Amino acid sequence: MKRIVGIVLAVLLIGGVAAAVVAGREDQGSGTATKTVRGVIGSEKSEFFADPDVVKALADKGFAVKTETSGSWAMEEMPLTGYDFAFPASEAPGKELATKHGVQGGVLRPFYSPLVVVAHRPVAEVLARNGLAALDGKPGAEARGTFRMGPFLDAVRADRTWQQLKGASAHAELNGTVFISSTDPETSNSGALYLAAASFVANGGLVSDAGGVDRTAPLLRKLIAPQGAQKTSSDAPFRDFISGAGNPLVLVYESQVASMLLQKQDVGDLVVLYPDTTVTSDHTLVPLTDDGRALGGLLTTDKRLRELAVRHGFRPQGVPAEFTAATAGYTAYLDQTLTSVHQAPVPTTKWLQAMARRSRS
Amino acid sequence: MRRRLRLTAALIAALLTATACSSGGGSKDPENGADTAYHPGTLRVLASSELADMRGVLDEAERKTGVKVRPTWTGTLDAAELIASGKADGKYDAVWLSSNDYLRLHPGAAERLTNETPVMSSPVALGVKAATVARLGWRPDEVTWSQVHQAVLAGKLTYGMTDPVRSNSGFSALISVASGLSGAQSALTDADVRRAAPKLKEFFTGQKLTSGSSGWLATAYTRRGSVDALVNYESVLLSMNRDSHTGLTVIRPKDGVVTADYPLTLLTSAPQEARESGQALTSYLRGPQAQRALTEQTFRRPVVPSVKPATGLDTEKRRELPFPGSRSVADGLLDSYENQLRRPSRTVYVLDTSGSMEGERLSRLKAALAGLTGTDDSATGERFRDREEVTLMPFGSSVKRVRTHTVDPRDPAAALDGIRTDAGALTASGDTAIYSSLREAYERLGTGGADAFTSIVLMTDGENTAGSGPGDFDAFYAKLPAAQRATPVFPILFGDSDRAELTRIAELTGGRLFDATRGSLDGAFEEIRGYQ
Repeated sequence: MKRIVGIVLAVLLIGGVAAAVVAGREDQGSGTATKTVRGVIGSEKSEFFADPDVVKALADKGFAVKTETSGSWAMEEMPLTGYDFAFPASEAPGKELATKHGVQGGVLRPFYSPLVVVAHRPVAEVLARNGLAALDGKPGAEARGTFRMGPFLDAVRADRTWQQLKGASAHAELNGTVFISSTDPETSNSGALYLAAASFVANGGLVSDAGGVDRTAPLLRKLIAPQGAQKTSSDAPFRDFISGAGNPLVLVYESQVASMLLQKQDVGDLVVLYPDTTVTSDHTLVPLTDDGRALGGLLTTDKRLRELAVRHGFRPQGVPAEFTAATAGYTAYLDQTLTSVHQAPVPTTKWLQAMARRSRS
Repeated sequence: MRRRLRLTAALIAALLTATACSSGGGSKDPENGADTAYHPGTLRVLASSELADMRGVLDEAERKTGVKVRPTWTGTLDAAELIASGKADGKYDAVWLSSNDYLRLHPGAAERLTNETPVMSSPVALGVKAATVARLGWRPDEVTWSQVHQAVLAGKLTYGMTDPVRSNSGFSALISVASGLSGAQSALTDADVRRAAPKLKEFFTGQKLTSGSSGWLATAYTRRGSVDALVNYESVLLSMNRDSHTGLTVIRPKDGVVTADYPLTLLTSAPQEARESGQALTSYLRGPQAQRALTEQTFRRPVVPSVKPATGLDTEKRRELPFPGSRSVADGLLDSYENQLRRPSRTVYVLDTSGSMEGERLSRLKAALAGLTGTDDSATGERFRDREEVTLMPFGSSVKRVRTHTVDPRDPAAALDGIRTDAGALTASGDTAIYSSLREAYERLGTGGADAFTSIVLMTDGENTAGSGPGDFDAFYAKLPAAQRATPVFPILFGDSDRAELTRIAELTGGRLFDATRGSLDGAFEEIRGYQ
């Protein structure tokens, strides 16, 4: 826990930068009385809040938002005095924050993004040939598919190596134990949600007691230990992947890929694999004051702000048409409806952190 | 398992001083009277030394963003100690190393870092002379670490590599080869390292050059001429081919590599304005213009998909070998390398104990030597190594005495105590016979122990005033057999010694000058360990 507190302090300090950027633009607002609201957010949303168009859209509605970033699973450790809202990347810590701070009227979930696995096409083809994935699209040009969690976890239990998979020998990089690179589950949301999804499949249901932690620990350890040193934010493994280095399979947020596509960046032979059982990162705004609640309402209802959230790859809650329309040109990569994807629930912070500790011990 | 201790303040001072002299002179020493204060618009960056080749990109970044980078060059592993101990706080705003993996294993490091953003990547590779590749019948894209091991074992391949205890490229190579030769299928464990030890020991018999920094390694490689290959970043090897026509075939072993991803990382202790500057710089460096420039100018790989890697960068993918997930595995590997796997060292310390050393100078020399004999919990790399042969050769008007101790792995204390006692008994008298004493050191080393890294450390506080002169020494050195000429002299500038004279000795023998006039003497002794 000490580690988490340290990280909170770290991110608090850096958060001042984003805040300053926002503050600097305050005067350029529309002239209406501007309300300054302060919040602590998951780092994956810092680009959204720093986007000049977002700053302007908020200013047009009379808001200047000052943000500081923190790991979503570390916000519980923060006092949050003087903040108007907290905005973790998961519903579970969101709900616990709401309980802890006695929030009336519930939390808001303006947008979400599922966790996906990215692979280069030749690797995705090897997975498909061995029953670990199913690809959609024209043969030889597939850019999207389903990642089959059950067979994958069976392979992990059996310590399967790439060399044992059919068709892998043609690719020099396919060597060693098959694993997905994730972030550190003790501090980072995407790494923690990976354990949530895997433990749900392995346990045949939500882990909600010490017995569940014990049952799933050996498998979760096999998911984490082979990775060696892990990164602490989902950006770094994705960058390694893009630069052609790093592990063949990397767990990222769909929003990371979608924002790259929507900014018309070439993604090469990247294939987006949607796990058949995955966890969605529900960006959950916990209002701590009336102003915080007003901001949450704005992010949920304002069309311009939802449009900007889509530009950053997020899916606005309850209005699938907006994400669908914006990503119409990218259906080869993105599964707009997620109809065949099962959403696993997320264990409470207590059990998830217990699993994270055990997986790394 | 020994604990890596925090660096002493003295060592840090020496590190920074050495930095100041190795960065081409003229730069101010951050520790001695120079300015470590924050100036708006200037980002104080603790950076891996090979990033000196980013000057062009950073100059352009300054024009575009107004952010000036003031780099302080350092070894990756030393930087990790500096940051984890909190000693970088207030002196640096950002850290830009080849990798943060080792740094993150240090307790106390994670909470000091933020905004970690990989900027580019380069795998650690093997650069092999084209003639050697042909002789071995290798197909460069098929070579594995096992084949490299076999070539070494057959006496057909020698190579240079940096000291893994001090340099990330050497450490990455050690992880790669330990993974390759142990057959580890995932992140290395202690058991993998133990299993691979016999093969690793064979592998390291081929290491004929060691260095505390990748820059000096390249220089020594070119000078020596007789070494077949060089372990270094792909970017450094390709740049050597472009700039010095070294004609090295760059091999990324097929069974896997460890890649540096150069995360530009802000320190949480930095002033808010500096953090803003850091973010502006990071955004610029991740843009297509900078990404194109850095791959074209430095042969590193871009991290944005719209920019293609420069010509010469093979795009066939390689398995990324995981970095150890725990400090005990990482440090255990370093400790094994240092005390069991690498070739042992034979070192002669030619120590000026002339009359001018009387008093404080002699005390400092004694303390510096005693420091190298370590304590029970000395960190890997901070004391004389197991199996090391250490000769103390104090001189005045001539060599006063010659005492040799060999550190026996079964009882290291015996030799270490002996060295400490001998160091404590040094007395100051007489003139300064630098060249005659050096000559005796070469003669002493000449009598055996070919299978070791031999080197001579020359510590003097004045000019040559007795015995033979530089001309005689040049003639003596020129007549030495090639194998003995390969022994470098590492002079230490101290007291009133003559920089020009010592620089000449370093250049003649292929050594490197260390400056203890601006830092500390024990810091210089410690830094030289990387070259021995």
